[in-house]
Amino acid sequence: MNRLPIGVRILAVLSFGFVSLPLLSLLWRVPWPRLWTLVASDTVTDALFLSLTSSVFAALLALALGVPLALQLSKMSGFAASIARAVVVLPMILPPVVGGAALLFAFGRNGLVGSLVADVSGVVLPYSISGVVLANTFVALPFVVITVEGALRAIDPRYALAASTLRANSSAITFRVVLPMVRPAVIAGGFIAWARALGEFGATITFAGNIQGKTQTLPLAVFVALESDREAALAMSVLLISVSLIVLISLRERWWPVR
Amino acid sequence: MNTSSPALLDARVVLQRGDLNLDVELSVQRGETVAIMGPNGAGKTTLLYALLGWIPIQSGWVLVDNDIFEAPGQDEVTPTRERELGMVFQDGLLFPHLKVIENIRFGTNKDDDLLDLLQTLEIFPLLKKYPSELSAGETQRVALARTLAARPKMVLLDEPLALLDLSARSNARNMIQTALQQSLAGALLVTHDPADAFALAQRVLILEGGRVTQFGTPDQIRAKPKSRWVADLMGWNVFYGVGQGSSVGLESGIEFATAEANLSGKAMVMISPSSVALFVERPSGSPRNSWLCRIRRVEYLDGLARVSLFGPLDIYADITLAAASELDLTPGREFWVTVKATEIQAQVLKTE
Repeated sequence: MNRLPIGVRILAVLSFGFVSLPLLSLLWRVPWPRLWTLVASDTVTDALFLSLTSSVFAALLALALGVPLALQLSKMSGFAASIARAVVVLPMILPPVVGGAALLFAFGRNGLVGSLVADVSGVVLPYSISGVVLANTFVALPFVVITVEGALRAIDPRYALAASTLRANSSAITFRVVLPMVRPAVIAGGFIAWARALGEFGATITFAGNIQGKTQTLPLAVFVALESDREAALAMSVLLISVSLIVLISLRERWWPVR
Repeated sequence: MNTSSPALLDARVVLQRGDLNLDVELSVQRGETVAIMGPNGAGKTTLLYALLGWIPIQSGWVLVDNDIFEAPGQDEVTPTRERELGMVFQDGLLFPHLKVIENIRFGTNKDDDLLDLLQTLEIFPLLKKYPSELSAGETQRVALARTLAARPKMVLLDEPLALLDLSARSNARNMIQTALQQSLAGALLVTHDPADAFALAQRVLILEGGRVTQFGTPDQIRAKPKSRWVADLMGWNVFYGVGQGSSVGLESGIEFATAEANLSGKAMVMISPSSVALFVERPSGSPRNSWLCRIRRVEYLDGLARVSLFGPLDIYADITLAAASELDLTPGREFWVTVKATEIQAQVLKTE
């Protein structure tokens, strides 16, 4: 097998070290004997449950919203497409706090849409679990759109022609040919969205607040605990790292598109 | 446009696309296979896409089975899926996420009709496989089955055998021939290989630079190429010169006597290698087209010797093996090269 130049290999080792060293240092400081009692506290179990459920719902919602958007964008070209793509990707670049504030102006109690929703249905989005999901979806959506649109654009357009000559209409082309062909990208996009939602902090705390047992996700709980109870913060960090690693390793081919 | 056309396909396709300026009129009879041949970039695939309605035509018409898909003054253009035209792509383009049987069923829900088709194309052992597990030949057989299963009125094939190696090709060609005959649909076959065209097609259309340069039976094409490209394809000798009356003179001073009359201006001369005869002695009665040339090399092909000669004239001669064994075809030896005037095709070149 053809080996890489020595310089590249050294840089690769350094780079891996750069990523893993902080994590190892964190594990080094964890009070392992007291770990279980720390993790079993109400604050932690509530935050863990909220983080897992809200991130999964956010990933599903991001898929439901992102796939149609990716399909539409893949059909567009020119200036309109550039504008649309820039807007869709903006939440990736924007500081999440700004995203959270924007969400408040839109979906808050007095927001553009939020007031309407509250008047009609009585549902108030900010400072609720739905608010956590909404904030997570907002930051996770671009990852789905980018991943899926990239895959859609890579499909040979002649597949649609082949399906048309076999009497397929546009919904048959979309649901029987195009979407099944980008299935790996849809799954990968879903996992990246989930990962982004699990670690979400800024938009969540701005839009949904930090109410223990209601909107306090694990990242928020870690932040709070760093000030008051450093050992609890370390225990929760171990929890987040474990959950993420278990998911990533058990689903390895699905989220990292290795061919 | 002939409105009560008995033809299955009656079309004139005019369109401009990049460097290509396509203007083609063609017809296909019921049950007939027409081959389209031509150099790269001649517009062969574009023509198929235009007939399918995938690329818009700028003017002209497309009629299939007396249904008008598009015509001058008709605003509505029939969409691809309603044209009932099947398409087989060079690379098969099977849906990669579907098994062979699911690919074949894609355009039909009648399974009982499929048995003959699956048998003819020898697909039964492949039904449960995915496209990525098939060889190139198997892929093309499945692609044709998928197309024919949808019962199209006509099948368009875009170089269906180009990616197959030689050993798989004749086998696949025979299967395609049988399947097309059974389906009774007409077919348009784009191909680079004269063997495919002559084996599968009743008529051959030569397309060069967006224009039809010849449209006739394989025998007509073989016997009387009408363009440089066809002549080269058939392995003919081609010369350019200036015509005067019944003769064409080359720059080198060589003068061809032909059976044509009234030649004038730039002209092309085409001579089949099988019309070129070699003699040790100058033929008595001395036909006008005789030159003393030297052998450059000899290749032995299927049942004949192809002799390359040089001298006043660079020319190929095809000699039967029997004749070759009587002559001493050693490179460097001199022979009298002779061609009958009636075997020489001369054509005045259009000056545009």
